[in-house]
Amino acid sequence: MHIPDGFLAPTLTIPAYAVAAPLWVWGTRKHFGPSQMDALPAVGALTAVAFVLQTIMIPLPGGTSTHLVGACLLALLRGPLVAFVAESLVLLLQALFFGAGGITVLGVNALAMGLIGPLAAWLAFQALRRRAPAIGAFFGAYLGLQLSTLSVALILGLQHHLDAAQFPTPFPVALAAMMLPSLAITGVIEALYTVFALRVLARGRNTG
Amino acid sequence: MRFRGRAARVVLLTWLVACFVCSALANIALLAGLIVLVAMLLPRQAARAARRALLTAVPLSVAILLLTWVHARLVLHVRPDLHAYAALALRTALIAFSSFAVLGAVDLMGALAPWPTLSRLLVVTLAQIHSLRLLARESWLGLRSRLPRKPSAIDGLRNAGGVTATMLTLSARNARDVSDALRSRGF
Repeated sequence: MHIPDGFLAPTLTIPAYAVAAPLWVWGTRKHFGPSQMDALPAVGALTAVAFVLQTIMIPLPGGTSTHLVGACLLALLRGPLVAFVAESLVLLLQALFFGAGGITVLGVNALAMGLIGPLAAWLAFQALRRRAPAIGAFFGAYLGLQLSTLSVALILGLQHHLDAAQFPTPFPVALAAMMLPSLAITGVIEALYTVFALRVLARGRNTG
Repeated sequence: MRFRGRAARVVLLTWLVACFVCSALANIALLAGLIVLVAMLLPRQAARAARRALLTAVPLSVAILLLTWVHARLVLHVRPDLHAYAALALRTALIAFSSFAVLGAVDLMGALAPWPTLSRLLVVTLAQIHSLRLLARESWLGLRSRLPRKPSAIDGLRNAGGVTATMLTLSARNARDVSDALRSRGF
């Protein structure tokens, strides 16, 4: 789902950084304590968990596989701003050391995958948690992933609209290529995983 | 050549600005020339960086190129202009290649020395990632050994749910230990 370096021009990537940077500062200050020293282990742990989640491959029929994102689970557990900070760090590490995503598109990817999706998941879960928490978690994670994917497709479509020479793929093609697998496979897998993980965590809390 | 200290910071800043500038280029000859230039400037890192870029960043842009070409031919019945796709692929390759080459040539931890909080966060996170990846892998191998058949997607999901709970508990404790150890050593 990440947009790689080179797909978007600075006309989009720099404003995205301008939007994301204050949110990074606010999220870090608000949720990771007044002392940065005390906050570091928590940030590092959550980032590492989110990073490793994205390396867990789920086998699919036909010999292929997909991977989890985990940002929605973090949002349901710790809130959307924590998920945003942790996912942004994951994206930075992936861009620097693993060649996934990129440094110029970090702001765009962080807003799409770390903020819009997890925030939607958290809001949906908050709305449904009292009546049916499992359904709320499933629906929230599914909705969150779809909104993240849609945001990425929309920003690619906007880039095509602004300058087709920069990103020549038309919006309908990008939308279909991204949304169809997300709606049919990845969203369901992410939603089921979120429900399983919340259930295991709740069982762990209840037993001890 | 390995850049350290202040030189590393200058190289990293130059690389960052260059990435943004390169992300706006569409001239194929210029992009190809810049790839050659980076390879000439950082010859010791060039082969490894090229291999990593070819394995990570380039396949995605090539897949998008093929997908859009097929769509243009079969659905729109037009011949797509390959120049823009070639520029996109080269731009992606150039930024990935230069990123790997530059990061291979600088002492990143040394460059981050003036920002000890950032250094510690990087060390804590990377240390956690290594141990948690081992945990996830061992858990997956354990699941495979317990089942008489190949694990299905549902088995994988259930296992991932359990692993996540363990990781969240373990990582919080381990990260605190690593952070305390770093602080006691003067970071």
